[in-house]
Amino acid sequence: MALDFDRSIIGSEFDRTVFAPVTKDAIQEYAAASGEPGANEVTAPPTFVVRLRGHRWMPENMPNLGRVGFDAGKDIEFGVPVRVGDVLTAVSTVHDIYEKTGRTGSMVFVVLRTVVTNQREDEVAVIDQKMMFR
Amino acid sequence: MATRFADVDVGHDLHTLTLTLSGDEVKRYAVAARMPGGRFMSDDDARKEGLPGQIVPGNLSLALFSRLIAESLPDATLKKLSATFRGLVHPGQPLKIHGVVTEKHCTDEGDRIECDLVLESQEGDRLVTGTATVQFPARR
Repeated sequence: MALDFDRSIIGSEFDRTVFAPVTKDAIQEYAAASGEPGANEVTAPPTFVVRLRGHRWMPENMPNLGRVGFDAGKDIEFGVPVRVGDVLTAVSTVHDIYEKTGRTGSMVFVVLRTVVTNQREDEVAVIDQKMMFR
Repeated sequence: MATRFADVDVGHDLHTLTLTLSGDEVKRYAVAARMPGGRFMSDDDARKEGLPGQIVPGNLSLALFSRLIAESLPDATLKKLSATFRGLVHPGQPLKIHGVVTEKHCTDEGDRIECDLVLESQEGDRLVTGTATVQFPARR
């Protein structure tokens, strides 16, 4: 059966969070735990942006897909690096919802896009979080 | 170690990382990355969520891919990173993370390469696959 939902949800913003300034401690804690080089005392390693948690991780009006959800993957496009003192803003939208049929049956994919910018409105990262429902 | 665009050809193998994450290391990452969920904290908490035991967050697999790129191509900058989570990764499981250069491009923005990345178990199961786009400094 074809996936049926109100497509007006695609592109809709469901969260906008402004975070407290990035601290040296947060960068050092993340770098030490991830083992990811490329950082120093004032610059975060690239994947630091995944630790940003907005107020909502899913839209309130998300269609009921009636299935169990799994984290299927993530794509990150990196802009300017995160530095100590940056005030980051994350804006999340529903980027896409689509259905695929594989060997094990049908699956629905929900792609949530989060665009992260700094206080100068430079783009820091575009993060596509892919959730699979089956 | 490849440090220049000219040193890297299609088919060039990146370094191979071999490691086994401990449960404490996974928990430490989950806390640092602000990842809620007992599944990342301990076997007991993960079982309460219906999982066989503590699991490694997908974001840590992304960080391992980033580490592989940084150690293999230290002068290059990571521009894009993608990962597909194909299976559960557990602490205590020996892991091999490796990659290969698949494309080279000279673009207006700089010299770039594309890489395929794999995180696999000792048994050769491809638990996480990914791609990376990496940019080299402008040639002088």
